[in-house]
Amino acid sequence: MGATLRAVRALVLLAGFYLLGVVLLALLAGIDWLLYRYAPASVAVKLYIVSALLAIPVVRGLFMLRTPKDEEMAGLPVTEADEPELWRTVRELADRVGTRAPARIVLTADVNAAVSEDARLLGLLPGPRRLYLGVPLMLGLTQAQLRSVLAHELGHYANSDTRLAVLTVRGRAQVLRTIAHFEERADNTAARERARQEKKNAKAEARGKETQEVDEGRAGITYRAMAKIYIAYAKLYFRATLSVSRRQEYAADTAAARIAGRDATASALREIPVLDAAFGFYMGGYATLGSEAGLLPPRGEVFGGFGRMLTARQLELATLRTELATEPSSPYDSHPPIADRVHRIESLPADGRAEEAQGAALALLAAPERTLAALEDTVLTDEVRRFSRAGDWPELLAGAMAAGLASLNTPLHRALAFYTKDAPTLPALLKLIEDGQLWQLARRLPLSDQASAAEGRAFREFVRPALHDSLSSMALAELSARALLSWEFSWERAAVPHLPPAPDGTPTDLDAAVGAAVADIPDTAPLRALLTHHI
Amino acid sequence: MIIIWVVLALVGLPLLALGLYFLKAIVQGAVEGWREGSEESTEYELPAEAAALGLLPPERQNKDSSAPLPAGLAAAITAAKAGDWQPTAALFDETVAARAWERRTSACERLADVAAEDDAWLLAWETARPDDPGAALVRARSTVFLAWNIRGGKRAKYTTGEQFEGFHRVLARSREEHARAAALAPEGDPSPYVGEIWTALGLGYPHAEMDRLWKEITDRAPHHYEAHFSALQYWCKKWRGSEQLARDFAARAAAQAPLGSLMTAFPLIAHFEHDESDSADADRTPEVRALVDAALADAAAADPSHPRLPEVRHLLAYYLCLQDRDEAALEQFRLVDGYVGALPWRYKGDPAGEFCRLRDLSVANVVAASG
Repeated sequence: MGATLRAVRALVLLAGFYLLGVVLLALLAGIDWLLYRYAPASVAVKLYIVSALLAIPVVRGLFMLRTPKDEEMAGLPVTEADEPELWRTVRELADRVGTRAPARIVLTADVNAAVSEDARLLGLLPGPRRLYLGVPLMLGLTQAQLRSVLAHELGHYANSDTRLAVLTVRGRAQVLRTIAHFEERADNTAARERARQEKKNAKAEARGKETQEVDEGRAGITYRAMAKIYIAYAKLYFRATLSVSRRQEYAADTAAARIAGRDATASALREIPVLDAAFGFYMGGYATLGSEAGLLPPRGEVFGGFGRMLTARQLELATLRTELATEPSSPYDSHPPIADRVHRIESLPADGRAEEAQGAALALLAAPERTLAALEDTVLTDEVRRFSRAGDWPELLAGAMAAGLASLNTPLHRALAFYTKDAPTLPALLKLIEDGQLWQLARRLPLSDQASAAEGRAFREFVRPALHDSLSSMALAELSARALLSWEFSWERAAVPHLPPAPDGTPTDLDAAVGAAVADIPDTAPLRALLTHHI
Repeated sequence: MIIIWVVLALVGLPLLALGLYFLKAIVQGAVEGWREGSEESTEYELPAEAAALGLLPPERQNKDSSAPLPAGLAAAITAAKAGDWQPTAALFDETVAARAWERRTSACERLADVAAEDDAWLLAWETARPDDPGAALVRARSTVFLAWNIRGGKRAKYTTGEQFEGFHRVLARSREEHARAAALAPEGDPSPYVGEIWTALGLGYPHAEMDRLWKEITDRAPHHYEAHFSALQYWCKKWRGSEQLARDFAARAAAQAPLGSLMTAFPLIAHFEHDESDSADADRTPEVRALVDAALADAAAADPSHPRLPEVRHLLAYYLCLQDRDEAALEQFRLVDGYVGALPWRYKGDPAGEFCRLRDLSVANVVAASG
């Protein structure tokens, strides 16, 4: 298919989207007219309102002729004066790719690099370009790899036939956005319905009546039906344009390999999914560790710590790199599976550039430390920025753990509160175990069907893991409250609690003590001893 | 006006279709219910010839056992269920004195099953006699049963992660408990190792580990029936081995054993475990007839009080019946009638029904031949 034909198809598909909107509106208007003519006024008025509500997202879809001036993603815009080396690199790459360099560079806080263009008149007239560059990406890539990623992104603008690809991209975005509007409305309607029913239930409960299951089933169903029509169109659209977008990705990869070197391009492709997964893990396990306790890592470390973690976990990452996704990440993803792309690049002839630019990509920044700190100011919300800063990572860990243990609420806490109608404390639990009521208490834990059907020994085995975990946490909380617990911080492993040794100097075995307390014949003596040793 | 009709048709037709669909479902349900009801009326009726021989209908067949339990064992089970461990302890001590390992493992299997449900009596026994080898043995085996109770009998697809996790956690404990039972066992007692085969089967011990276990057993008791039965299960295709490994194991056991040891049952069991054909042709070959002949001679020469002899008789009755040797089959059926807790019936959905069906076929053929 020639470039012209592809362009025509892109135009037809986009036109089809607008046609769909017009037809739907005509249909709604037609129904309204029928109602006006033949239905009693009381019914008609109600249905007018419904059709008007349904029309809103359709109209919105129609009039979003241009992609909204995309809100610039949250990030740190850097001028040429700020980052001369980065700008020079980007300019040089754009030049070698054979396209215009971006007018703005914005540093972001994700594992991503993207070039966007505010094209005008359906993408027929060029507009200013913006490069989004994730600092976490720079923390994980070498300079050669980063050059390859940037060359790929710029490469999308180099192929002359991709001017009209903007049309395709626009169409995709348009259809997806309209679907999103409908679903958002459906969700809102469902949420309102849910709130209404829950309120009703709360009233019924207050009066001591049986409450009904909350059912949001029907609410929002009309919106979802409309969304389905658009989803059907979207599927057609994506199928028709997929091969083109895939070809564009391969072409951009080839351009990247030519400019940045074959090996750097292949290894960057392998690296990005790994960095993405690692960054998710880092944000959950390290950066936001203190969020419950209102604690932030030291200044510059919110994203800077990612680099430390990557260094410490090299071995783990090496194994991840060898596993490539062979499936596209979603059926709507325009990118071919990573495995395909890597194989295509790796089958190119060797270019002898494997040793080029092995330095860290972060070195392209004039003052990485300062940039990491400034990035925090732009991407963290005001609320988060008001958190207090920990002096260092171990302090952050200790603070987070102490706060977490102080507000501990395990399933066992809830079961105990329910069973005793009293505050769920460790002394109360130990007393109850000593009174031989542990297994009756365990019946109040959240149980699977199999566990609640089990009796005697089998039941005890089903609940033992939950009892063990909860009781361990309660014991740790007790020690933590008495400031007897220390935590070992590590970039490589999960945090480890350290208990003070027993008075005779032997290491404390919390697991064994807890195990005895939840044994078939529970014995709380070791756990009591462990707790009282340290008063 | 025509518009109204169009709208009405648009609304009405789907409703009508829905109504018809429900009507169809109701009629189908009613028909099925009626059919089921009519099936119930064709209930099993004990043929007069079988009744004349004193044979029992399915509802009077005991599904939990292959034969009446020895009085001592039955009493021990009753006492254990009532919380009294003393008779069990006495029984286990007695098997050591008599060096009756076959009875020891058989009693262990029964009492461990009781302890897997409720082990209060076992705990009392352990407290009273901390290093009792019998208690250690029952403890380990009961943990194996407990693991299976947690896992449930359903296929992997219908078993939850929680069940599998519990199964492996508990079964791993049974390994340590078997090691302890082996350390406490009286000299020459293979029982802890026999029990450990079921741990091996569940945890998937490597073959090398199984062979090590097997040497411990055969050094102590070369022709122990339950050991061979358990190990054969391990070597079966459905567990940790293959058809070839299972058949070789069974053939070796039968070839080396003296007459009366009942080891000739295992080639038949290996055949039974791996026979996937739908017809009885595979059970009528000269080879299988020869296996049955060997097992018949073995059973005839065995000690009549061998605790596993009834199991072999059940198997013989089944194959003799399939081979149209009804006279011989009936002889075995009569010896075990009243109990169906054995292979091959145990594997069937309705063990008692299947037992009675084949037994009655043999009875009818014998009567027809003589009449």
